[in-house]
Amino acid sequence: MKLYRLLASLVLAAILLTACAPAAAPAASDAAPAPAADAPKLRIAEQFGLGYAMLTVAREQKMFEKYLPGLQVEWQTYGSGGAINEAFVAGQVDAAIMGIPPFLIGWDKGIPWKVASGVCVMPLGLQTYKDDIQSLKDFKEGDKIAYPAPGSIQHILLSMAAEKELGSPTALDDFGVAMAHPDAAAALISQKDISAHFTSPPYNFQELSAPGIRQIVDGTQAFGSDFSFLVAVASKDLYEKNPQVYAAFVLGLSDAAAFINEQPEAAAKILAPSFKLDEATTLKYLTWPGMNYTTTPYGLMGFSDFMVNAGYIKNAPKSVSDIAWYNVVSTVGEMQGETPSALEKLQYRP
Amino acid sequence: MKKKPSLWKNHTFRQVLFVLAFLAIWEIVALSKIYPPLLFPDLVSILKALVESTASGEMVQRTWYSLYLILMGLGIGLLISFVMVALAMVSDIFADFMEAMVAINHPLPGVALLPITLLWFGSGEWGIIFVLVHSVVWPMMLNTYAGFRSVSRTQLEVGRNIGLRGLRLVTSVMVPAAFPYIFTGLKISWARAWRSLVAAEMIFGASGKDGGLGWLIYQRRFFLDTPGVFAALGVIILIGIVVESGLFTQLEKRTVQRWGMVVTRS
Repeated sequence: MKLYRLLASLVLAAILLTACAPAAAPAASDAAPAPAADAPKLRIAEQFGLGYAMLTVAREQKMFEKYLPGLQVEWQTYGSGGAINEAFVAGQVDAAIMGIPPFLIGWDKGIPWKVASGVCVMPLGLQTYKDDIQSLKDFKEGDKIAYPAPGSIQHILLSMAAEKELGSPTALDDFGVAMAHPDAAAALISQKDISAHFTSPPYNFQELSAPGIRQIVDGTQAFGSDFSFLVAVASKDLYEKNPQVYAAFVLGLSDAAAFINEQPEAAAKILAPSFKLDEATTLKYLTWPGMNYTTTPYGLMGFSDFMVNAGYIKNAPKSVSDIAWYNVVSTVGEMQGETPSALEKLQYRP
Repeated sequence: MKKKPSLWKNHTFRQVLFVLAFLAIWEIVALSKIYPPLLFPDLVSILKALVESTASGEMVQRTWYSLYLILMGLGIGLLISFVMVALAMVSDIFADFMEAMVAINHPLPGVALLPITLLWFGSGEWGIIFVLVHSVVWPMMLNTYAGFRSVSRTQLEVGRNIGLRGLRLVTSVMVPAAFPYIFTGLKISWARAWRSLVAAEMIFGASGKDGGLGWLIYQRRFFLDTPGVFAALGVIILIGIVVESGLFTQLEKRTVQRWGMVVTRS
């Protein structure tokens, strides 16, 4: 009978599972402390978009290697923060650049990692080409709002806007459709299939440069203030067991941020090929109003407060030090007395 | 004293025992904490996730939507293949055309068509139904046509002799005679459609409202809800078992086995 064979394969699968899993399990890592002394190694996960420019610059200019000669950097590209979460659980990466919400989802589920650096503050937004859609209230049966994935920063910002305008963070979840940035941008510009797209640079810049496309939600307004679009995260193992590699990672990022801000022309030259854009457009995007490459994090606690209240995560970090390593904690600082400092306030929504 | 038939000889008993053994091994591995629970959740948390998503209505709604899609896909697919086969039985030229179409399309996995589907139908319901129809229509045509072709001359002549003509001849002689083939086609179609559906929902066409079990898994994945992913997988397995070992086995017993057309296992 069918069932019999099905069961046999199930048992086989179980055996395979038990046999194969150790390779992927970080927790079973008593034997793991790699001989880091001879060849320091750093495995970095990145995604697509202008937010990852710091990594491209750091790679081309060998900024990580500058602080730790001989460092071997291994680059891995993923399609979403959720995929980076899985890569961390499987123990395949040491550090990553990702949105704060997917990082918090991983932190909530117990992935041993914290924020190692801010990366950038950028304008995000929801664009549409439909004349009859002026605000979030106007979405109706059949409309589709594209964002990269459930739980992505774009999804969470949309939820924040929905809470402000419609009273419930999940009011628009039924309209959501998961699409990669380039696919959704192409669909929006050709005005088919989707009604709106919540996205980040350079895709929102491309959309807004196309005729007939307007922004109806501004990410910064939805959040209430500036926020870090991306942060760098590092695993506990990297921070505690390989402090030199960790330091090279953080300092290399700082150098890259300063390089892009101070020499945008040179940065555009480096970045243009990897974005498949010409230098002038790259420069225009890098210097678009609202762009800021900075290692200072913005809005760390604002995201976690919202995500706990809306039920996306269960555990609330009590302070920045719960979710950030010491170099970040010290950047934010702690003002003694009644009034918190500007940088401390910056971590919360107003 | 009469000797009781050994329980161990009972197929069902043995199968249930294997399932229980598998679950026990799973639970031991999970509870031993060799792997972090994010990778290998224990049965209690999976069951809890299943109960929670059922209670909130989400699991029921997603399952229902998946079944609706598959019924649409199967229905349209069956209709197309029967019409095509009917035409092929009438016209030799059309039969050649159909066989060529089957030869070209049958080896194409539905999921491979997704990029094109996205362009033609967009990411909604009809895109997924198109993929389902594709996975149903070719094996169904192949098997139904082979079935009708295999009906023996003698049976047809007997039918004609007792005065059956046209549609009556088809329904009373040809369909029953070809039924083992049609049945196999149906089983293959279901299996292919069910697998394509879940894959298609996970790769594209995944959206908040138009989303079935594949979308549920996709969503749970992004919130690192491993027990939730396993709960949805459990429902998929359950439906597969109910349809393949329940529905199809019953259908088989009532038709081809009763008619003495297949050899049954004791």
